[in-house]
Parts: sequence; structure tokens; C-alpha cells
Amino acid sequence: MSKVSENIVKAEEGEVFDIELEKDVLEANRKLAEKNRELLKDKAITAIDVMGSIGAGKTSLIANLVQLLRKNYRIAVFKGDLTTTIDAEIIKRYGVEVVAINTGKECHLDSNLVMKALQKLNLDAIDLLLIENVGNLICPAEFPLGSDRRVVVVSVTEGPYMVIKHPFIFMDADVVVINKADLAKAMQVDMHKLKNDVKKVNPEAKVVFTNCRSGEGVSAVSKALDL
Amino acid sequence: MHEGAITRQIVDSVLKEASNRKAKKVIEVDLLIGSLTFLNPEQVKFWYEILTKDTFIEGSKLSIRGSEAVVRCTKCNYEGSFKYVDDPALHVSMPTMQCPKCEGMVEIVSGKDCIIKSIRMSI
Ligand SMILES: Nc1nc2c(ncn2[C@@H]2O[C@H](COP(=O)(O)OP(=O)(O)O)[C@@H](O)[C@H]2O)c(=O)[nH]1
Ligand SMILES: [Mg+2]
Ligand SMILES: [Zn+2]
Repeated sequence: MSKVSENIVKAEEGEVFDIELEKDVLEANRKLAEKNRELLKDKAITAIDVMGSIGAGKTSLIANLVQLLRKNYRIAVFKGDLTTTIDAEIIKRYGVEVVAINTGKECHLDSNLVMKALQKLNLDAIDLLLIENVGNLICPAEFPLGSDRRVVVVSVTEGPYMVIKHPFIFMDADVVVINKADLAKAMQVDMHKLKNDVKKVNPEAKVVFTNCRSGEGVSAVSKALDL
Repeated sequence: MHEGAITRQIVDSVLKEASNRKAKKVIEVDLLIGSLTFLNPEQVKFWYEILTKDTFIEGSKLSIRGSEAVVRCTKCNYEGSFKYVDDPALHVSMPTMQCPKCEGMVEIVSGKDCIIKSIRMSI
């Protein structure tokens, strides 16, 4: 195929133009994220983006945080998911507003979807927004939403090499939650090694061990988030 | 995994640019993918072929180059590549936000981008 186009270049010389474009296709999302950030700041809402693989414990962590913080904050939860509302029902039980964001086939939330979801809320009646991103460790890292803080949840059941294999995911994280501490022994995963790996990549990230079944460590997460 | 969605944006931009300039044909698109994106060049090419099918830019060549991430130290102003730290037990090395020159922290200057550099077209 390249040969054909080379021939064409020669045949039509004089009519061929190189247009310098310098267009970043990821920039649209970043710009919209900035808009979200401004809107949230305007309304004095603290927004937290929770990322992690399917089953890592994002919903469990959010449910725990909601129980812990609902006395002090007016909370809303955005729940990014492919189609189901199971998680949304779980969190609704605690009496906070939940907006399910259906991403269809997409592997991540983007700032446009978050902007639309923000329009469904009375922003004056909220001061804390917890956003559960789609269950996927990789893609959400590429799409900032405009949140103040980013949490990455990894669980020991994902094995000992999560950080080594995906270091870039942890660079943008403010807090890294290492969940399912109760299963570490059975999984033969050294949680301190995982923590060290995170600290090597991102010395400023706060690392917290949790068991989101029992609630252990959740108040430390809240503290790490300055809540 | 989101190569399909990103490539759709690339194709839309190229189509728009080419038709604005009344191009007869698009010969080549020059794309730069930052090393901190999670875009797989092979998949972007795959989607490009599918998404340009039956459009007037079908058959154009997508050239992809990678670009290394650039970081800057907030303390000593070092600008360049990441520092890598070794994991002696596993014989692997990991990039770190620590400055290679001092004990400061770096911030990312570039590498999270996917830039359409230029389009070669015949008019
Ligand atoms: N043993 C154990 N199970 C957990 C823990 N945290 C979450 N789980 C369970 O792991 C499963 C997936 O959790 P969920 O919060 O839905 O993960 P998500 O997909 O990241 O939202 C559920 O069955 C949870 O009850 C934990 O700390 N220990
Ligand atoms: Mg969930
Ligand atoms: Zn430095």
C-alpha cells in the first residue's frame, strides 16, 4: 500500500501538501475535565475518583466511606458501570444520592459523562462526590474527570505484581488502597512489598491497607483523603 | 482498550481537515503517541483501516511514532526522562516520580498525548 502512495506523490507533485495540524485528540477530555474541576470548586464540592480492576473492592470501599462520612458530609455517588445497577442499589440503602453512569461499551468514564451526571444533581445540596470508575485498572488513568483526588484500589487477590506491571497507573494516584488484607496470607502476597513498590514509583502517594468486608482501615483511607 | 474511540476522533479530525481543504485524497497521516498513554499502535492502525473504509480517505497511510515521556523536577528544574529504580529480586526496573538528579519530585510535562502532527494530502 505504501508503494502505491509513493507513486502518487511523484505523479501529482506540486499538488501534494503537508498540513501541520498538531492536534492532541486526548486534549478535549482534559479541557472538559478542567471545566468540571472549576464547577466543583465553585460549588465547594470535593470530588474523588475511585479506580481499580473489577472486584478490587471499589463499591465496598465507597459503601464504607459513605457510612463513615454521611454524618459530616452531604454525599453523592456516581457509579460508572457497563449496564447493571446492583452496586447502585447497595449504596442507595445508606440514603445518599446515586447517579448510575452507563458507559455502554466504553472501558472508562470520561469528563463528558461526568459533566452530564453533574447536571442531574442539585450541586448546592452536596459537598462530597465519590465517583466509582468503571472496573478497569488501565483505561481510566488516561481520562481525568476533574476530581480533586484519585484513589486506586488494588486487592491482594490480583497477585503480587500489580504495581510492577502497571507502574504508570500509580503515578497519578493520591491514595492507593491495598484491599482484602484478610486474604493476604492465603494469597501469599506480601502487602508491605506491594506498598514499597507503590512508594518507589510514587513516593508521595499515601498507601493504606484495608479489609472492606470488616471496615478495617477505612477511617485511615478517609484520613489519607483529608476528609 | 479504547483505541476504537480514540481512532474515531482521529479519523473525524482528518476527514474534517481534508474536506475543509477540498483534498482529493489523503496520502499519509503522521501520528505521535506518547509513551504514557495506553494506546497500542497496532490496534490504532487496525481501527484506522476499519473506520476509514468507504470514506474518501480510505487507503491513506497512518504512520505512528512513539514519543518518550518528559518530566520536570519541581525542585532543581531537571528536565528529561524518568528515573528508573531496580527491583533486585525480580530483575525489573520501574519508573519513579523521584528526580534523577536530586531528592525532589518530578511532574509530567509530556507523554500523555496522542497528536496528529500532520496530514499529507493532494488537492
Ligand atoms: N474477603 C474480602 N472480600 C472483599 C473485601 N472487599 C471487597 N470484598 C468482596 O469482593 C467482591 C467485589 O467487591 P466490590 O466492592 O463489588 O468490587 P468492585 O468491582 O471493585 O466494585 C465482593 O464480593 C466484596 O464483598 C475485603 O477486604 N476482603
Ligand atoms: Mg463496583
Ligand atoms: Zn531535581
